[in-house]
Amino acid sequence: MEIKTFTVADLQLALLSEDFWLTKTLPITKQRALSFCQNPRAEKNDPVLLVAYQDARVVGYLGILPDKIFFNNADHKLGWLTGWWVDPSIATNGTGVILLYKALNTYRERIGVSGGSREARKVLDASQKFIALNPLKGIDIRFRFNATKTMLRKFSWMKIFRVGFKVADVLLDEIVNLRSFSWERRNSISQRLTFEYVSTVDEETGRFIEQHYHHDLTRKGKADLNWIMTCPWIVSAPQKDAASKRYYFSSVSARYYYLGVKVYAQNNEMVGFLLLTVRDDRMSVAYAHFEGRHAPTIAAAAVYHALAMDVSTLVLYDERLVKSVAGLHCPCWSTQSISRGFFLSRAFADIPMADCRLHGGDGDFAFY
Amino acid sequence: MKDKITQMLFNVLDELNQLRPREEHLKKDLGTPLAGGSGRLDSAGLINLIVLTEQKTAQELGSPILLTDDRTMSQINEVFRTLGSLADYIHLLLNEKRHG
Repeated sequence: MEIKTFTVADLQLALLSEDFWLTKTLPITKQRALSFCQNPRAEKNDPVLLVAYQDARVVGYLGILPDKIFFNNADHKLGWLTGWWVDPSIATNGTGVILLYKALNTYRERIGVSGGSREARKVLDASQKFIALNPLKGIDIRFRFNATKTMLRKFSWMKIFRVGFKVADVLLDEIVNLRSFSWERRNSISQRLTFEYVSTVDEETGRFIEQHYHHDLTRKGKADLNWIMTCPWIVSAPQKDAASKRYYFSSVSARYYYLGVKVYAQNNEMVGFLLLTVRDDRMSVAYAHFEGRHAPTIAAAAVYHALAMDVSTLVLYDERLVKSVAGLHCPCWSTQSISRGFFLSRAFADIPMADCRLHGGDGDFAFY
Repeated sequence: MKDKITQMLFNVLDELNQLRPREEHLKKDLGTPLAGGSGRLDSAGLINLIVLTEQKTAQELGSPILLTDDRTMSQINEVFRTLGSLADYIHLLLNEKRHG
């Protein structure tokens, strides 16, 4: 088995090569590789992809997302592990172990992990190299009942009743529409607030973010958010393409886009910025910047957009927004507490986490 | 020295087996396959073995070794093929340390 390390510069060359893309299993998609190469926090010689080859076959890979975290008045470079896969037929060959230690050694044990599968967490625990940060506690707000999806996922034999479920969904959606209409009128969002939509972060927003990100662990500024918004890993497409069938992780969704929402109060003062991710029928707030006193207003703006964009679910991880949701009396069917786990290698054990804020999009979460 | 390494590795297996279901316990035998084609350790199991071996080598043999460096990783299937091959590798590392 051979492990090849691809730096940003190597990946740029790989994008131009034909051979790299010929393997039966792809270690990365072109879309994701392009994004890796544009990462404003990555340098040309930063390793960003480790690939395990056996007889010219890809049998494992691990992506690394170079980033910076800020604490104790200094920035510290690290790599977030992302897209870690090993061919299950060689699960006892130690490929996953080699990839993990290679990443740790390459980044001088300065590694972060956001989320990860149960297997991956088991491996991280076993290595005793990582500390778990307090999980980010969020909320899943369900606006649509989605009987068809819910029931058929649980009881596939009920397919014969699909039409019945669809009719039920249409009727239930009408109830939500009525409740949404009355909620919007009651909260008079469109009278109280105005919005400006951006596909990239403009100067005004950049300055606004800089005024509000001092407690953020990753302090994502204008260049970083622009990179996320313009270099997604997932492409909106009606069906899976050939490449996505050869890559283990998500690369295509029916609907996928980012939307920057600038929120203004009546006096035309900018009071918040939301970076929304819309994937199929789900909207997440990846990054949110505002002053604490405006939390109810910004939470209302997020709910307003979820309703306007007709998504089934809104996902929030900002603690202040989550707290404010209860007071909004949203027209939803249910809410559910959720959490996101973050791990940092022990090299960062002295981080004063009580002073550091994580966002729902940190790590590699902004790209899913 | 080899006997000490073998005994230390048997102690490692005692601890490792406590983390595994009874039917997946590893036999205290130098021929026991660990990783590779006939190995029985998945990634988490192999990492547990590595961590415990590093700890026990320092505790029982008084000399810390590193089993996670690039050198070891580049020959992982040879080093961790069997308990015996791991014992040989530890012996080699300790000898290298002793002779500078």
